[in-house]
Amino acid sequence: MLSLRFLPTTNPNSSFFHTAPHPPTSFKPFHNPISPKPRFPKPSSSSPLTVRSVLQWNRKPELAGETPRVVVITSGKGGVGKTTTTANVGLSLARLGFSVVAIDADVGLRNLDLLLGLENRVNYTVVEVLNGDCRLDQALVRDKRWSNFELLCISKPRSKLPMGFGGKALVWLVDALKSREEGCPDFIIIDCPAGIDAGFITAITPANEAVLVTTPDITSLRDADRVTGLLECDGIRDIKMIVNRVRTDMIKGEDMMSVLDVQEMLGLALLGVIPEDSEVIRSTNRGYPLVLNNPPTLAGLAFEQAAWRLVEQDSMKAVMVEEEPKKRGFFSFFGG
Amino acid sequence: MTSIWTIQFQSLPFQPSILGSKHHIPSYVVELRPEVSSSYGRLNWTRRLSLRQMFVLRAIDRSANSGCEDQSSQDETVKSEAETTIIQDPVRKLQGMISSFPPIVFGMRQRMGSHFAIGICIATAFLVMAVRVYMVRKSRYSRPGSVADLVRRGQLRSDRRGISRPLKYDDPFDNPLVKVGKNNSTVEMCGKVYRLAPVTLTEEEQAIHQKRRSRAYQWKRPTIFLKEGDSIPPDVDPDTVRWIPANHPFATTASDIDEDLAQNNVYQKHGVPFRIQAEHDALQRKLEALHSDQKLNKLVIEPGNAKDFERAFKSYSKPIERGEENFLNDHASSSKPPLSESEEMQKP
Repeated sequence: MLSLRFLPTTNPNSSFFHTAPHPPTSFKPFHNPISPKPRFPKPSSSSPLTVRSVLQWNRKPELAGETPRVVVITSGKGGVGKTTTTANVGLSLARLGFSVVAIDADVGLRNLDLLLGLENRVNYTVVEVLNGDCRLDQALVRDKRWSNFELLCISKPRSKLPMGFGGKALVWLVDALKSREEGCPDFIIIDCPAGIDAGFITAITPANEAVLVTTPDITSLRDADRVTGLLECDGIRDIKMIVNRVRTDMIKGEDMMSVLDVQEMLGLALLGVIPEDSEVIRSTNRGYPLVLNNPPTLAGLAFEQAAWRLVEQDSMKAVMVEEEPKKRGFFSFFGG
Repeated sequence: MTSIWTIQFQSLPFQPSILGSKHHIPSYVVELRPEVSSSYGRLNWTRRLSLRQMFVLRAIDRSANSGCEDQSSQDETVKSEAETTIIQDPVRKLQGMISSFPPIVFGMRQRMGSHFAIGICIATAFLVMAVRVYMVRKSRYSRPGSVADLVRRGQLRSDRRGISRPLKYDDPFDNPLVKVGKNNSTVEMCGKVYRLAPVTLTEEEQAIHQKRRSRAYQWKRPTIFLKEGDSIPPDVDPDTVRWIPANHPFATTASDIDEDLAQNNVYQKHGVPFRIQAEHDALQRKLEALHSDQKLNKLVIEPGNAKDFERAFKSYSKPIERGEENFLNDHASSSKPPLSESEEMQKP
């Protein structure tokens, strides 16, 4: 399942290897890699810098499926976090070393550029490409933080997208990206607009798989079920869901549906569970995606885990249910 | 409670200091107050201990000496003779308090010493901090123009510049912030421990949900977009038609280029984009046509026509303008078309 990608020249001594003890269990906590993970220890300070940079990532997810993986991120209801998910999962994938093109297919109300902090760099959009005002490579905005991440907006806020081509335009785009000189991107992530209008149809046309974002409330769940039905009618079978804005304290007080309840209602595999986090709003306002935050936040970590599972076409095997009081040591009374 | 104790503590040194410092202790005190006199020895000992606090004692002495005159003391003696029997119990209390005095003095002395040490420590800490700040500033100024320098001057935003620093952990499932418990039933994320519950969804349940949805939602993806009022083409399934209102804010069915051309535009990898090329070509053609027709010479503003544009009230400046016009005409005919024409040509 997992493969270690390291350079043979930087292969350390065999004594450097040690297996993390993972006892066999009835279920696996988050993903299903082989349970004993061969791991590199962190390089000591005396080791040369080159080795350290190579060893920065000692475990990588293995890309499953054919590239490019065209993933549409949709929800039906608005405001559940589609764009936030697109930005964070996209940048997580880029951080994991995959080349990613994020397409903001929200025709009238695009926001992905704001979330990524790229709003000042969007000069051309797909509409200009279709009209022949620019080439496709000119419309792709490369993120300076992670150069294997590119953004493509479908239209400018005040311009109208000609619907005459329907979803064909996006299919052409995917074809054009496949045959790029610098290589086919590993992931094409499409941020779908809310609703099931013409924008939705355009966005799902080129997709092979879908990520359904929902929050644990009944309005969002009804829309999500409807959208799942439409996606399945359209032939997209690989649908996973991300449950966003989960509050374990409210679940414990039975004021919010648990993730397992949501799953029971929708019957979809879980890609991730994102806890409610005040850092999301802060990072949105800053135009700096959550997964780049240092130190990492709870929601950022959850997005990274979701991205990892997306790469491996995996799903969650266990979910966080409630917060347990942390066991405190003997000296914790004294502030220890 | 504490205030009472502090008052007592403050009042305590007065009595022995007065008694101790005045070497001419009146004999009546000794005679009439056997308890006090018996404790005098202790007071002496107390005084010996508290010798180092001379600055306190002297101040008290002065006040005591100035206040004590023989006459008044004798009057007091008379009073005290009468009251001795009454206030015997308070005297005992006082005695008890005095007996507890030496440890307090000792404590004060200790505190004095520790204060001094703490003071030295704080001063040293401040000194170290100042030196460190100085060193940091010095090292910072040593490389003007560095990225850190630009960030400090506000030219760059530190959190947005370039490739951001990679996070220190290796993978999102096993790092210092995410730790799965020993028996896989808990996970610790960002310092909080969460209980884990296994996912119970099975393949069968998933299939049941899919069937339910396929029954509930009969849908065909629209393949054709028409605006209201258009007629449906004969070979199109009416279920796959999407009607878009003519005043839809973001979507329109009208497009000024045909489908093949749009597809070619998307697939184009090199060279000038189609529309830019087309506009350039159109301009080029227009220019060439103008050249071939020798229209350029005719475009020159003729003096006769120029008169039409002149304003009547500017007649006094006519000779000068005439001169300018002649100059302009010569210049335009020799080099390039006049401004109005070139502006017109720039428009597509």
